[in-house]
Amino acid sequence: MNINFPLDWFFISILFFTGAYCMIVSRNIIKLLIGFEIISKSSLIAIITAAQATNNINLAQNIIMVMILIEVIVVGSGLALIVKYYRLNQSVDILKMINLKG
Amino acid sequence: MVLYLLIYFIIILSATISVIAKKLINSAIMLAVLSIGVSILLFIYGAVWAAVFELSVCAGLITVLFISAVSLVKNDEESLSENRVKYIVFPFILIAIIIISSIFVPEYFLELQKFSTYNTEKEKPIGEFIWIYRGVDIIGQLTLLASSVFIIKHIFFKNKNIKENGGDI
Repeated sequence: MNINFPLDWFFISILFFTGAYCMIVSRNIIKLLIGFEIISKSSLIAIITAAQATNNINLAQNIIMVMILIEVIVVGSGLALIVKYYRLNQSVDILKMINLKG
Repeated sequence: MVLYLLIYFIIILSATISVIAKKLINSAIMLAVLSIGVSILLFIYGAVWAAVFELSVCAGLITVLFISAVSLVKNDEESLSENRVKYIVFPFILIAIIIISSIFVPEYFLELQKFSTYNTEKEKPIGEFIWIYRGVDIIGQLTLLASSVFIIKHIFFKNKNIKENGGDI
């Protein structure tokens, strides 16, 4: 299926901006992880569009599988850290994480 | 083409709602909708295995993880006063970015596409890519999975000798 490659990248740039904005402005750490998820989704679409333009779909599928696995590991570990931090300090505010300073 | 644009519209809309939603649980659910949209897009592109993986893992597992984490830290959600002015500004910045990128981005990538080399040979099956061509990745994936299991085990480590703080530290 031949789909417009530049139009894809237009949508990808908007999606990337949305995730980056979420990571920049939010104070809640869970919201930060949600922004990270949105950015990783945009990169996933970028890989598949590039593969479609050069006819390498199967290689891209393999790379996407590895990406999804890494995403799950990062999110799982991050959420576990957040829950533990919340139990200790009763807060998920990123500005109150001063005691993590070295 | 209409389906393709509709899916992109759903993806952008769900991403926007997940950013500006006040409740974290709505953000998590909208993230699941985004994942479903991305997996439909992968189906359209012919990446069937990746789409199934995306649908089961990202739309299923990650949403469950997010919702359980949100319900565990829920008491703090209302007391955390976020600066909502930034979120009110967000749609206007988004519209500005859409207008600016619609002028510059497609033109740039149309130029960039000329440098790509099209693979004219018949593509190998996906099993060959997973097990032979990028077989070393399997070791990395297994190491990462094991490390994440150890991380979670050590984060929620329970020492039975310590009774202070509910024996949690």
